[in-house]
Amino acid sequence: MYKNFTKLLVIRIPLVLAFICFFALNTAFAQKITIKKNQVSLEEVFKELRKKSGYNILYNAEMLKGTGLISVNLAGASLQESMKAVLEGKQLDFKIVEKNIIISKRTATPASQKQQRFTVTGTVTDDRKAPFQGVSVSVKNSTVAVLTDKSGNYKIDVPTAEAILIYSYIGFVRKEVKVSRSAVVNITLELEDTKLNEVVVTALGIKREEKALGYSITTVKGEDLTNAISNNWTDALSGKVAGLNLLRSNGGPAASNRIILRGENSLSGGTEALIVLDGVVISSSSGRVTGNGSAYLGEDSPTDYGSAINDINPADIESVSVLKGPGATALYGARGAGGAIIITTKLADPKVKGIGVTFNSNASFESVSRWPDYQNEYGQGAGGADYYSYGNSVDGLSTRSTSAAFGPKFDGQEYFQFDPNTLTTGTSRTPWVAYPDNKKDFFEVGRTLTNSLSLEGGTKSTSARLGYTNVNNSWIIPNTGYERNTVSLSVTQKVTPKLQITAKATYTNKFSDNLPAMGYNNQTIMYWMVRQVPNADLSWFQPYWLPGQEGLVQNRPFVSVVDNPYLITNEMLNKDNRNTVTGNVQATYSFTENLSLLVRTSLDLGYDARSQQRPKDTQNYNEGMYRTQNIFNQEINSDFLLNYKKNFSKFSTSFSFGGSALKNTYNKDEIRAETLFAPGIYNFANSMDVPLSFVTKSKFGVSGLYGLASIGYNDFLYLDLTGRKDWSSTLVTGTSKVKGFFYPSANLSAVLSDKFTLPSYFSLLKLRASYAEVGSGGTTPYLTSYIYDSETTFPSGLSNPSAIANPGLRPERSRSLEFGTDIRFFNGRLGADIAVYQNNTSDQILKVPIDRSSGYSYSILNSGEVRNKGLEVALSGTPIKHNRGGFNWNINATFTMNRNKILSLADSVETLILQTGPGSRGTIEARVGGSMGDLYGLGYLRSPDGQIVYENGYPVKTQTSRLLANVYPKWKGSIGNEFRYRQFRLNVLVDAQFGAKAYSHTHSLNATLGKLTSTLPGRYNGIIGDGVILNADGSYRKNDVIATDISTYYTEHFTIDNVEANLFKTDFIKLREARFDYTFAPKFVKKLKLQAASLGVYGRDLFIISNWPSFDPEFGTVNNGLIQSGFEISQFPATRTIGVNLNVRF
Amino acid sequence: MKLIKKFILIAGCFSALATGCTKNYAELNENPNGVAVAVPERLLNPALYDVVQRNINRSHRINNELMQVFVQRSNYIEIQRYIVRPSESDYMWNNWYLQKTNFADMYSLAKANVAVVASQSKAYMAIANILDVWVSSLLTDTYGDVPYSEANLGKTDNILTPKFDAQKDIYQDLFRKLEESNTLLTGLASSQLLTTQQKGLDALYGSAASPTAELELWRKFGNSLYLRLLMRVSAKSDAIANGKTPVVKINEVVTNPTLYPIFTSNAESAILRLTGLTYPLRSPFAGFTTTDYNSAGSLGEFFVNTLKEYGDPRLALWATRYDNDYVGIPSGYQVGQIPPARSTLNPALILEPLLGNIMNYAELQFILAEAALKGYIPGTPKTYYDLGVKAGIEHWGLTMSSTYLTSDAIAYQSAGSQDQQMEQIMAQKYFTLFYTDFEQWFEYRRTGFPTLLPGTGLANGGKMPSRLYYPVLVQSLNRAHYQEAIANQGPDDLNSKVWWQTQ
Repeated sequence: MYKNFTKLLVIRIPLVLAFICFFALNTAFAQKITIKKNQVSLEEVFKELRKKSGYNILYNAEMLKGTGLISVNLAGASLQESMKAVLEGKQLDFKIVEKNIIISKRTATPASQKQQRFTVTGTVTDDRKAPFQGVSVSVKNSTVAVLTDKSGNYKIDVPTAEAILIYSYIGFVRKEVKVSRSAVVNITLELEDTKLNEVVVTALGIKREEKALGYSITTVKGEDLTNAISNNWTDALSGKVAGLNLLRSNGGPAASNRIILRGENSLSGGTEALIVLDGVVISSSSGRVTGNGSAYLGEDSPTDYGSAINDINPADIESVSVLKGPGATALYGARGAGGAIIITTKLADPKVKGIGVTFNSNASFESVSRWPDYQNEYGQGAGGADYYSYGNSVDGLSTRSTSAAFGPKFDGQEYFQFDPNTLTTGTSRTPWVAYPDNKKDFFEVGRTLTNSLSLEGGTKSTSARLGYTNVNNSWIIPNTGYERNTVSLSVTQKVTPKLQITAKATYTNKFSDNLPAMGYNNQTIMYWMVRQVPNADLSWFQPYWLPGQEGLVQNRPFVSVVDNPYLITNEMLNKDNRNTVTGNVQATYSFTENLSLLVRTSLDLGYDARSQQRPKDTQNYNEGMYRTQNIFNQEINSDFLLNYKKNFSKFSTSFSFGGSALKNTYNKDEIRAETLFAPGIYNFANSMDVPLSFVTKSKFGVSGLYGLASIGYNDFLYLDLTGRKDWSSTLVTGTSKVKGFFYPSANLSAVLSDKFTLPSYFSLLKLRASYAEVGSGGTTPYLTSYIYDSETTFPSGLSNPSAIANPGLRPERSRSLEFGTDIRFFNGRLGADIAVYQNNTSDQILKVPIDRSSGYSYSILNSGEVRNKGLEVALSGTPIKHNRGGFNWNINATFTMNRNKILSLADSVETLILQTGPGSRGTIEARVGGSMGDLYGLGYLRSPDGQIVYENGYPVKTQTSRLLANVYPKWKGSIGNEFRYRQFRLNVLVDAQFGAKAYSHTHSLNATLGKLTSTLPGRYNGIIGDGVILNADGSYRKNDVIATDISTYYTEHFTIDNVEANLFKTDFIKLREARFDYTFAPKFVKKLKLQAASLGVYGRDLFIISNWPSFDPEFGTVNNGLIQSGFEISQFPATRTIGVNLNVRF
Repeated sequence: MKLIKKFILIAGCFSALATGCTKNYAELNENPNGVAVAVPERLLNPALYDVVQRNINRSHRINNELMQVFVQRSNYIEIQRYIVRPSESDYMWNNWYLQKTNFADMYSLAKANVAVVASQSKAYMAIANILDVWVSSLLTDTYGDVPYSEANLGKTDNILTPKFDAQKDIYQDLFRKLEESNTLLTGLASSQLLTTQQKGLDALYGSAASPTAELELWRKFGNSLYLRLLMRVSAKSDAIANGKTPVVKINEVVTNPTLYPIFTSNAESAILRLTGLTYPLRSPFAGFTTTDYNSAGSLGEFFVNTLKEYGDPRLALWATRYDNDYVGIPSGYQVGQIPPARSTLNPALILEPLLGNIMNYAELQFILAEAALKGYIPGTPKTYYDLGVKAGIEHWGLTMSSTYLTSDAIAYQSAGSQDQQMEQIMAQKYFTLFYTDFEQWFEYRRTGFPTLLPGTGLANGGKMPSRLYYPVLVQSLNRAHYQEAIANQGPDDLNSKVWWQTQ
């Protein structure tokens, strides 16, 4: 068993086996052994022997205690001789069974017992009923032990007839059998489901056994994140964690994601999971989602510059712990209310001898996967135009100045059209044809090359890991992309047996010459795209300046307000150069075996230099523009944790007391030249006016003290109690004192299967319960006092701020109750982890939009209570299982549902507008009794039986806003399948969501401009809309009026004001990940002097099944620095990624 | 036990450290991005500029379309067809109210003498009042009943959902404020005038020859505005103008120039002269390209033809030529029958300082002409009309030819019917109000003049909108008071009449 492992295998934990180390090596060597060592430990000698002999040495570390140092001088001795020599005078025995050497304690057996002893024999078989060799059979509470032989047989002398025999083998469930005078005991050992005994990383980086936890935690291993790499590694969490929701900005190569656990509960829209990287909270510093500017027709369009979270190199990640509820995150206090994602990066494997080198190379290709259903039957023209003329001609007046495609049918005729040679009206008529690929061809195949190299190694007291990653990306929009270099170093040093120091640091540089601007605005590609007419060839836009007027006048063949797309990508640049350093230094001192102290300081430091440039003659900046932002952010957090452990008979206890103090600083210095003197020169010396400066500074601090008590009873019942008190600077005003706030949590876990005898098909039954409160002062400073804003463009200028400060701000609080169970059957072949929760969030600190007639845009309030209830199920199954390279099939599935209700709002407000649609068309509001994500807006006027009312052939709309939909999915689910056969592995992950709707601005525009096939009916004989007409007497009749103006007909239906008509279901099923890989055979690898090598091909987001009319139903809109759902505004196309991955270890 | 003592000791040490960390928290939470204390002069320019630039912006987008100055050549922007969607309403409502906060704050800072040299209190109270009245009148004239008495009290009185006031009550208070301003600015001692520094922070009248002249100009602006608003409600016989009916008050103001000084020349007009491409008084269209400024549209037939008929020299400043001539296009054309492009707005207007017009001398002359015509004040309408026409042209830096006032199209027809005379006065006033917030539209709603050319494709039953919708967000954010308002005023649509339009 497990002999084929090429790598030293260490399986840590099971408390019982805690000190057993198990070495395996597959190489066999000659029996002549030569070792010369002076004053070394027995352990050292064993290692040497193992190496020389190729035999495994099994021993209990406890036995070696007090054996002292020895000197060995062996020259060509046999194994037997060697062992004898080594163990001489050590009270230890050894036994050689097959390839194992078993060390046991030499005991003098009391003479009185000798008489009662008798012999038990039997056969041990493994889970497939095959003879099981090498199983340790021992007598409980004694040191008598034997191993089974080749046929699985054993023979053991037991001291009494009442003795209990223990059968154990690493990786299998230990069995205890009462002998009860039976002389023959045959046993089958079951494979152990190792998962439950796994050590997981919990809040504050405390490692705990999973079975002792009273709350839900999901761990995603590093290798599961690199299956199908995307530009943002957090994409890989999708479908792997029940209760996790990713809101993607989809905003280009550096796109950010918002990670939401257990549904939206924050009325402020800021329910994001806390992101902790090696103890460093990065979500409020370098991890802030960026991209200022409004998604809809702002002066400025948002660009997603990404955040430090994206820049984490997935290859450096050891594991990710997802702590979903406050129960799990109570120790994080203030900021853990939205759950936490705890990322632990790799440390060097201390067992690696010499230098371990891993090289990983990845190439991926990204292309647009889904398009709206464009029509290519009718060309440019306003409603009903029966001819086309580019500029005035003998055919008639010019029809070029529209973006609509309600013009003449492509019928083989010829018109005066744009002449790409002269960039004006052609002199002769040319064929009137469609260019169906005139949008698609604009996009390129995106390409990402990722190469990473890691070195690890160490000595007995020091180990280190150095990683380097280079990522080079060019995205689907021409001339966009980025380059990233990451260097990470981790070092662990055992200074003395009592003091250990660990340091981790990661330096990242991300550089981009151009990142695309998002949203609906003249300077975005998607704005151009929605206006591209079917009869325009893409190549007509290629020369983006008019000849002879380069830098001054752009070539805009059609509607004059739309910027040339090649001008956008080549000249309207958004640059970024970001340097971040994240790291920590920690020291652990063990006063005694039971008492230890950890002291740690962590730092997240980022400096981001951004710039935007616009040439002259662009729509929003006729005289050109140049802006820079230098953004500095820093968070320093220092904490300590004092830990005391003690076991009292059946109780195991652990008490921790800790404290932390953090300080967060954010400075943004922006300089703007809003008009440029000479074309094409982008610096402030070229500014026409005095450059403007805008400075934003923000600081806050949080200090906390906390305690944790864990009590375990009899290895099956565990109780955790925590308490934390926080002091937050954000709640302080000049006059008030710093008031702390306290919150407790209690978690209970019972592993019933360890205590009670359950039917044999139960391999685990664990129940858990958790109650937790979390308080928070928020991370936005300066809400408690009123100041006048600086009006930077005016000398001495001031203005009243848009928000009313609140000096009496209280901390927010959420209370959460969670019950869960972890059940596994048939040796863990089938398992379910189920959690139900209720989470009430109250007193939220909100910037509440208020009616401007109050004189302000926002009020800062403690507002409302929101209740989230939900169910999370994670299922795992192994339908087919063969060991030793046979066929294996694993299934993992998740299911999540969340329901929420707004229980109350602040007294002074009737509703909370959480978001508004494009140009305030449609709102997402929180009203008492409603749910988060309720979308209100104008819609169709309907008859009492729900039919659309028409007037003169065109639909009528209401002028009152009403509830139209909810934008959060009712449920989400995923199924992942993994197949392994010999060196092959196939992994397929599908995920889905159902039950939500969203507004599509892209659809509104495409429909009103006649770009979709759905706008073909009625051209040009008119159409009778499906609905009714109001008769003079108040009754309704079926609509019988022909709408002759088709352009108006579709405009009246799908105008952006008609929120209802542009709502569509965001249901989808996606083939999220697929990976096929091959691990090279060890023999082959050996020949190449490698340790291991694997090659994989993968795909991400390969197929989408959805009725969403635009690109991707899973969208997020970046609007004023937030990623929002509900209103899709000019989203970028959905993409499909296909990649190749090579991993080599030397 | 020893261990536990050790534990407690160490824990205690760290706790002391942690609490020590919070000592500077009050300082940490002091906002470094602004200042806690303001003085009125620092609030003036940013607020004034904000209102002016937004007025220009929406005058361009809404007023010019409704009033046939400009016509979008698009099937989608249909304001020229009298389709003004609810989403058009937010912009003005939101921004006007925000700036009213600054004006109201200037008033209370001055009144409370907070951080202001006490002697300038009167001046700033008056200035703040005048600007507050101006913006409040824009609000009520655009929407009808609006929050007023409880408005802008979010911070001081925690009123987040202010009640709507009847327009009549609003006007009554506007007149009270203007009366107060006039009094405040009367007989100021030299110590009560603005200091040189303060004068430097007054973009409207800071360039006046002396501190006395500066405040005298503010006073004239206040009283001229008083006349604009009195005239707007002159059809009402309620005694709302400080205890008098609007007509009586008009007479009182005009006949007492010492007590109520008003504009006496173009130089005294209230114009926030914009500075083109440069800050801070940057032209709101400064970033626009030529095509952008005219988007997809041309000048209206009514606008171009009338100016041509008048031989008005301003035409060359305002319009581009098409085929060597000035040609407009029909407004209110039928859907799908987009007229071809013709003359557009002159791109030079993009950087034109005069677009920052708030109220000018010529407008005042036409108000007086109407008052004289209707017998509210002594004198003949022709006198005021002639002054107005001349001032209107000279306002644009042009010279009126000596024969202009006697030319057929221009000469005042004193013998005409009242309607004919009104038509003549109001047509001239229409051009004087070019790019002045929504004044052309307000005046059309009041008088029905000038006589526009009705298009064949008009929606809304061919009726000029009487008001704009309340912003849709108000339905959510101030629901109860919104319901009250529409119960009092009529349905929230384009055709409900505001109080001064009702009989």
